[in-house]
Amino acid sequence: MSADDTKKTPERPTQEISLRINGKTVTEEVEPRLKLSDFLRNYVDLKGVRVGCEHGICGACTVRVDGANIKSCMVYAVQTDGSEILTVEGLNENGSLHPIQEAFNEEHALQCGFCTSGFVMSTFDLLEDNPNPSKSEMKDHLGSNICRCTGYQNIYKAVDSAAEKMEGED
Amino acid sequence: MSTPESAAEGARINTEDTEDQKFVGKGVNRVEDHRILTGRAEYIHDITPENSLSMGLLRSTHAHADIVDIDTSSVEAHPDCSLVMTGEDIAAEYEPMVCGLDGITEWALAKDTVRFVGEPVALIVAENRYVVEDLIDLVDVEYELKEPIVDPLVARNDETIIHDELGTNVPDSETLKFGKSEAVFDEADNVVENQYSWGRISGVPLETAGVVAEYDPDTDSFDIDCNIQLHTLVDDTIYEPLGYDPDDVRVNVPPDVGGSYGTKIAIHRYCVLAAIASQQLNGRPIRFVEDRIENLQGGDMHSSDREYLFRLAYDDDGTIRGIDVNFTDDFGAYPRYPVNQVLKPLTNVTNTYDIDHVRYNYELILTNKTSQTAYRGFGVPQHLYALEMAVDDAAYDLGMDPYEFRQQNLIQPEQMPHKLPTKNMYDSGDFPAALSRIRELVENEEQTEEGLLDPDVIEARREEGKYRGVSYSVHVEPGVSGADWTDRQRSDRDTLDDRDIDDVEELPEHLRAEVTPDGRLCVSLAADSSGQGHQTIVKQLLADQLGLLLSDIEVDYLNSVEAPTEYGSAASRMAVMLSGAADGLADVLVANLKKLAATHWDIETDTVTYREGIVERDDNGDSLSLSELASLSGITDADEPLTHASYDYQHPVYEEEAYEEAFTNKYPVYPTAAFAANAPIVEVDTKTGEIEILKFYTLRDCGTQLNPTIVEGQAHGGLAQGIGAALLEEFCYDESGNPQSVTLSDYLLPSTMNVPEIKMEHTETPSPFTATGAKGTGEGGMIDGPPAIASAINRALEPFDITADCIPMTPDRIRRKLREK
Repeated sequence: MSADDTKKTPERPTQEISLRINGKTVTEEVEPRLKLSDFLRNYVDLKGVRVGCEHGICGACTVRVDGANIKSCMVYAVQTDGSEILTVEGLNENGSLHPIQEAFNEEHALQCGFCTSGFVMSTFDLLEDNPNPSKSEMKDHLGSNICRCTGYQNIYKAVDSAAEKMEGED
Repeated sequence: MSTPESAAEGARINTEDTEDQKFVGKGVNRVEDHRILTGRAEYIHDITPENSLSMGLLRSTHAHADIVDIDTSSVEAHPDCSLVMTGEDIAAEYEPMVCGLDGITEWALAKDTVRFVGEPVALIVAENRYVVEDLIDLVDVEYELKEPIVDPLVARNDETIIHDELGTNVPDSETLKFGKSEAVFDEADNVVENQYSWGRISGVPLETAGVVAEYDPDTDSFDIDCNIQLHTLVDDTIYEPLGYDPDDVRVNVPPDVGGSYGTKIAIHRYCVLAAIASQQLNGRPIRFVEDRIENLQGGDMHSSDREYLFRLAYDDDGTIRGIDVNFTDDFGAYPRYPVNQVLKPLTNVTNTYDIDHVRYNYELILTNKTSQTAYRGFGVPQHLYALEMAVDDAAYDLGMDPYEFRQQNLIQPEQMPHKLPTKNMYDSGDFPAALSRIRELVENEEQTEEGLLDPDVIEARREEGKYRGVSYSVHVEPGVSGADWTDRQRSDRDTLDDRDIDDVEELPEHLRAEVTPDGRLCVSLAADSSGQGHQTIVKQLLADQLGLLLSDIEVDYLNSVEAPTEYGSAASRMAVMLSGAADGLADVLVANLKKLAATHWDIETDTVTYREGIVERDDNGDSLSLSELASLSGITDADEPLTHASYDYQHPVYEEEAYEEAFTNKYPVYPTAAFAANAPIVEVDTKTGEIEILKFYTLRDCGTQLNPTIVEGQAHGGLAQGIGAALLEEFCYDESGNPQSVTLSDYLLPSTMNVPEIKMEHTETPSPFTATGAKGTGEGGMIDGPPAIASAINRALEPFDITADCIPMTPDRIRRKLREK
């Protein structure tokens, strides 16, 4: 057993990265092995990026990088140097819910909520390319995310409702 | 776009309803959602105190081996290492873990012997998880391999014993007989006997286990934040291994937990180890977050893994006479608290059928696998699956339509409340009507031209090798467990007959509230939550009881020391227990507030009236608002201010004589019988072995619905988990005991590709025993989904004489059966 705090920690290699995250510039020194998901959670305090599997299956850590969704547990932070990143926290910056978030609440499309950030981001991605998705297009697109609570039924309703709300806004 | 407040509360409220019930019964939008949707909810993984360190675990790579030596010298010498401990270190200063059965010693870190792949062997603390992982690789463990025990049926009689001190791999078994349990098998015209197998599964919540533990050297006590389920009931699994009194270990669960479904009841090992590490480091806060691979292979969270030998006696006229249930349940290396899930099926042992004679025999088996915990349904889905397969087999042997066979044997509405041979009682319900309604629904919708069950379509699909089937069945979801029966296996079973009701110890549901100076009501829940919406439900109940608005009420949570020991959020208890607790709490609070106002005015209490947040004088109409009352709270000499109230709601049938025999004998008591009639339509591709559920029809009844939106969500989610259990999910092991399902690409959770459209109808048959008429309904779809799906597969594959006698029915299993034919 050892409980020794006196030893000197050696320097590990780091690299400076600079990104635009939810509209703000962030510059940090990070280890090259740091996953983007951990960078966003622990360095930028964007805890809405949830980590459910760390091997690219569950989709809870889904964020938008340069206009395309990725699973942030599958890339290193240094790979996104210079990118523009959007997370769920960036959707409602003026204090109001984004229509997708609003629709998820109204349709009871979340229970424990751990997958929800990922589903909201996947819905955002879907509706951007396809403002009026069919049920089978929704299923295909949201197949990248796992929800263990809702059985997906109310998520489809929320996507439909969000699509309507967003169409009304345009 | 809406404001946060309006989005969070009340978009679905119908204001035209009666004055005293504005919120209960409505699909009020959840108050939990806003913080979650904006990414601001604080789950346990998000709690990172300043100066905290990260803990990681070195885990066994062998299923069964003696530890010859652990060399930690390289780690100790490493500058990044703050702490390393082994099982020897733990045993030198602390106590063993709490076991579900007597006679077994389990340490939080393995000492001397490892008994499953993934069992923690050493703990390491460093600044962050990345560094911890580096250090784990530096520990050198020398093992001497032992014979692994993998097959539970072999384990029963194996010479190799997992725990020498037990002398057996079957540490618990019991045969229970009710009615003419053996003679009826000689008397009946026919007996069907078959084996059914249910694969090892679990809840696999998306959030893994997590702990932040902090030892306080000044008070010699601990604060442990964690996502454990039932924190007031199972806190003994944390303070006992630490060797501390309950009051010195404050277990606190964040308001948001990323799913549990029963599984997080058993995360105490992590809580204990993080607390020990903090103590060793003189109070540095210690964080632990389980990763997904740890969770799947060794996270103490597998659940039921059963082999059934099921016999069903029936007469030529189609009357079921008796059942004889024999099963083994593979509990893995250590029998944990949920050992009693082998007994819960006694609560609905005959399902919806009127059967008088029951023999029930289980054997709890130990093998070199990760241990079991609870999972939604708590041992009941497995039983209903085996029972419904035997019912299908009997109908087939008899040449009777399974629908008619089931309908003929159902408990009739006039038999309600209906006492089972196993002494639990169903409260209410019309099962025959539900069964005929679900068939009518499917036939009207789908046996039409171009419908899923259009005979021409079915025929055309068969020509492509795709076989469709539908089956109609109705199932009971037992709700609102009692507490006293849960230790039956640690009791002297021979003396239970002598007990009377005063020997029965139930655990009430605790609720407390306080009027705050701004005139709001701050309510505290003793139960933890993991996504069920308890904060919303409590607001609905109390807003109606007290004539307040939802926004007048805050709901928070108590830690394990603030709260009394109570059962908490499991066994589909909360709708019923919170209904009763809110009822009682409102009465106490109103009485207190009236007394306070009367004291202030110096008049008699019965000359004032409470209504909608004010107390009014009957004589002159003067009134005091909640905030005014809060400012007066010091004027009486009561020990507790009169603006505070608490209430402990006793189990709803504790005083019902009809349940006394079950209570005193420690047979499981679950008085509410929610029920569901199901009709999944499945299609089996005989070329690939793949099974698709085309649509899932379900008719559900859980008594009075407090929030129909939440009820519907519970049913959807339960059914999705039922689909996973029936078709996808299984923890597999190779013959050396190596886990084969250690990522989410091996352990397959249902995705949008597997869950079909769910067509749901609701009826409401209130419970006569509960405060609002609600029945428990947190587990339904997981309980009734698998047997219904398996039965539909039987219908689809009838032309091949193939039945779903083992689940999950994976494509390779289907193909193997087809090849064998």
